[in-house]
Formats: sequence, C-alpha cells, structure tokens
Amino acid sequence: MSNNVIVTKDLSKTYGKGSLQVTALQKTSISIERGEYIAIIGPSGSGKSTFMNLLGCLDTPSTGKLYIDDIDVSTLNENQLAKIRREKIGFIFQKYNLIPTLNAIENTTLSMSFNNIRSDERVERAKNLLDMVGLSHRVDHKPSEMSGGEQQRVAIARALANNPSIILADEPTGNVDTKSGNNIMKILEYINNKGETIITVTHDPNIAKRAQRILRIQDGIVSEGNV
Amino acid sequence: MFKDNFNLAYKNIRERMSRSILTLLGISIGIMAIISLMGIGEGMQVAVTGELSSLSDTILVSAGGSSNDFELLQEGVDDNGEYLTERDISDIERIQGVKEVSTQLTGAGVITYNRENVIVTLTGMDTDTIKIAYSEEDLEAGTFLEEGDQNKCIIGYSIAHEDFDSEIAVGSRISINGEKIVVNGIFKKQGMGGLTSTDSIVILTSRDFEKLTGESNIKLAAVRVSDPTNVEVIAEEIEQAINENHGDDDFASATAMSSILETIQNILGILSLVLIAIAAIALVVASIGIMNTMLTSVMERTREIGIMKAIGAENKDVMLIFIIEGMLVSLVGGFFGIILGVFGSQGLAGILTNMGAGGPGAESMGLTPVITLFSIVLAVGVSLIVGILSSLYPAWKAARMSPIEAVRYE
Repeated sequence: MSNNVIVTKDLSKTYGKGSLQVTALQKTSISIERGEYIAIIGPSGSGKSTFMNLLGCLDTPSTGKLYIDDIDVSTLNENQLAKIRREKIGFIFQKYNLIPTLNAIENTTLSMSFNNIRSDERVERAKNLLDMVGLSHRVDHKPSEMSGGEQQRVAIARALANNPSIILADEPTGNVDTKSGNNIMKILEYINNKGETIITVTHDPNIAKRAQRILRIQDGIVSEGNV
Repeated sequence: MFKDNFNLAYKNIRERMSRSILTLLGISIGIMAIISLMGIGEGMQVAVTGELSSLSDTILVSAGGSSNDFELLQEGVDDNGEYLTERDISDIERIQGVKEVSTQLTGAGVITYNRENVIVTLTGMDTDTIKIAYSEEDLEAGTFLEEGDQNKCIIGYSIAHEDFDSEIAVGSRISINGEKIVVNGIFKKQGMGGLTSTDSIVILTSRDFEKLTGESNIKLAAVRVSDPTNVEVIAEEIEQAINENHGDDDFASATAMSSILETIQNILGILSLVLIAIAAIALVVASIGIMNTMLTSVMERTREIGIMKAIGAENKDVMLIFIIEGMLVSLVGGFFGIILGVFGSQGLAGILTNMGAGGPGAESMGLTPVITLFSIVLAVGVSLIVGILSSLYPAWKAARMSPIEAVRYE
C-alpha cells in the first residue's frame, strides 16, 4: 500500500445533459496522504458537497479516476461501493444522522453488522469506542435521549467502527454549541494523532485553521489554500 | 446478520405501533376469515360424511323412477301409485352380494284422536330400517320402535302438535284406521331444512301396517350388500331386474347411498372453495394494506435508509430489513387471525345452525367447525407469503434509494 489514501486523476462531475449541463466539479487531480488532517472550505454551491460525495463513494464521477487505498473505485458498481464505504470510510454528518430507533451501542455496531463482524466482538469494540468519546454512561440511550454533542460523539464512534482509512466529517460542529464543538474537535484531533486520515468540510475559519492542510473550492475548482 | 436486520425491523414496527397494529388487524381479519370458513366447510364435510358413511353398504330402491337423489331421501309422501311387488323383493334378495332387504310400505290411513279425524300417509318399516333411516337425535320425545313392538307408532311434529286441536304426547293413545295405537316417539320440528321430511310422518312396524291397511304396498326398499365396494354394480343389477319385471325401462331407481354421499361432498367441496375465495379477497385487501403502510414507511425513512447505505449497507441488507418487517407484521397478524378464526368459526357455526332450519335438521347436520392442522399451517404459510410479497415492492424501492440523501445539505 502506498502512502496515499486518496488519489484523484482528472476527477470531475457533471450533472444534466446537453445545454442544461452543469459542471459541479472541474477536473481535479490531488493526492491525500495517510494521517493527514485536511479541511475543505468554500462557499455554498461551490462544489464542496459534490467533491465530498465523490470522495465518500456516495456518488460516481463523470470522468477521471478515484483511488482509495490504491483501489480504483470509479468503475465499481453499487454494492462494491457499499463495501468500500463500510470498510474504508467513516462518515460524520452535520446532523449526526443516527438511526432514531437504535440506542448508542446499536448505532455504533450497525455498520459492523453490515461487515459481518461477530456479535460479541462488535459490542466489545463499540463499548471501547463509546468509552473513547466519553459516552460509556450513555450506551443504552437513544438519540432522542441525548444532547447534540453526545449524538455527534456517538456518530464519531460509529464512523470509527470498521477501522476506516478515511474519516469524512461534514460540518461536524455545525449543529452543536461551542463547548461541545470544541470537545468534538479535540476527539477528531486525538484520532488524527493516532494515525487516522481526516477530511472535514467546514465554514468555520477557526476550525479550518486547526487542520494541517486546507483545500479551497470555488466554482468547482479545487485548489490548495489557506484561511 | 439476520438477527440485526430482525432487530431493526422489530424496532421500526414498535416505533409506529398504532399504524403497525392497524396493518396487522387487516391480516388478522383475512386469516380469521380463512380459518373460520375452512373450519365451517370442513365441519360440514365431517358432519355429512359421518351421517352417511355408515350407510355406505346401503342401496335405496324405490318405485316410480325417482328423479334425483334428494327426492329419494324425501320419504314417499306424495304417492304416485307405483309400488314394488313381492316378486321384486325376492328378485333383489336373489342377486349375488345382497345381504338383506328391508322394505318400507306406504299407504293412506285415518288417525282419530279426541273424535277428530285426519287423513295421513302411513309408513310401515322394519325396526332395523327405522334405525338406518333416522337417528335418535331426530326425536323430540320417546324412542324408536323395537323388534316385537305391537300397536306402537312414531309420529311427526305436525301431527303431534298442529293437526289436532289437542296435543298428542308420547304415551297418548290414538286410533289409526280404527285400531288403538300408542305413540312411542315424536319427531322434532324439521321445517324446510334437512334431507328427510319427518313433520307429517306416521311410522308403524311393517306387521302393524299390513294389519291396519290390509295392503303391502312397497314404496321403498333398503338393500344392504355384503361388500360396500360392489354397491354401484349391485344397484345397477337391481334396477335392471325390477324394470324387467314391470316391462318399463324407467320403473325403479336404485341408488347407492355412497353416491349420494359423493354428490353431497362434491357440492360441499365447491361451497368450501367459494368460501375460501371470499376469504382470499380479504387477504388481498390486507396485503394491499401492508404494501401501503410499508411504502409510507419507506418514504418517511428515506433519510434513515440513506444513512444505512452511506455507512455501508448493501441493497440486499436494506431489502431484507423491510421484508422482515412485512413478514413480522403479517405473521403476528396471522397468529391473532388464527385465534380469532377458531372463535369466529364457533360463532359462525352457531349463527348458521340457528338460521338453517331452527331445528333438528341443521343440528343433525352437526355444524361443529373443524379446525385442522392443515388449515393452521396454511394460514401461517399464507400470512408469511402475503408478508413477503406485499413488502417486496416497498423493499425494492427502499433499496434503490440513494445514499446521497443522507448527506444532503439543508
């Protein structure tokens, strides 16, 4: 395995056909090394979400190549992409996106169950992860019984469940108060220090500043930048 | 894996409890209909078979070319003046395989009671024949005649309670053609229901009949054969022999009771199918109910499905969750449906019995619903299949949803 977790070659995304065609992401060639902490910034409608969806294997590119852990994912089918998502990528969403009917430990084990990990092993690992994000007292609470910050920490535990190569965090502090936001950032930095690659999308310059590398997107063009 | 999907499905159902219960109710009603209607159908079959199968070695022979099986059973109240002769009977007795022949005599008579006269049709039967033709349950009072009884009779409900100003009871002495006769038994009111009409009947022993009327007009003969498997062939031979005696191709009819049984079973079989078809309609409606609920649920959970797919669920995982959900609702509904159906069939049997004839006819039809293991297995199977089929489409829609839904910016 090379040291690059993500490599894009002329990666682009175009929506629509003919005269209605809109290019959301211009041809982009970047590489991201293992263990990097990257912030993606840019105004609304700049192509940020398109870029994130492509990196997260939620969407397929119109042209170009995307390699994750040296695997060319641009040609994979739906189920193969699902396998990449659960094995290589951990998502953290702005709105936490926990399953409302499941408690903290069940939410954390869910993606492991899609990965066919044994039940006792799953619970063991989920408990450790919830412990790491400081929620060992909340394991059997449902999302509706937890604060926003707590829910987001469950989401972080869930994202780490299958030992992914990349954590994609989309405005992870966007919906929580400053104190909780700070707590979440500290957790993300902690796991980054342990070697995890983190890519976060943010509006907040203070959060972007804490990243090692900043990618700025404007009008579908990705460029190296600073705050 | 299955356990986790089961857990998810179960929690979804619990989350939307009232809606799940309503959906479940639809299935319950459908299954209840199937179980109770099958129970009634099966009950009818068992009752009729039980009543008639003991007669599988019996052939009824009548003069006057009875036009169908049921009329034959309606013992000869309307007398067309054609009778079997002693020669016919002895010819029947000579046919290979015939075990015994008992005869039923028919003729007019006058009953006098409290100085009132009523003209009736008298029936003379051997005591054994009475027991073949009727069951003890048909009597509202008294007993059948025994071998050796003299000057005793059994009368129908109308004669006992309606034809005379004063009631006739068991033990009453009436006069038939001038002879004193004791009433030994009275039939229950039969009305329009059952197979044999007993309301206006007067049954005497054959010996008393001949003594009172001086005639021996044989309207009906009951033939028993030694081997029930030959019954159809022997019936054919009997008919030929008698027709030859009278020089008339259509003089007599000999009908094996087993062929009547077959006819009735065929009719009941069709009836059962119709009942089940009606129940099937209820199930179709219920399955549309499940599909509708599940589709709504898929729409509501667009985001949830997206999240699951984003964190790595494959299409089959998502589909399985929804199919299990449909199956669970349907199975639980089916379970309650079976319980409701068992009680429902009892109630339905009660209603049918009361509606039937309001009397012995329906009761001796014995509408006790029979719930077979087969119908329960069928009900479980059907609810399982309904659950799977009606959730297939919603599950497929769910599986096709895009994971991008989950990460869409708002």
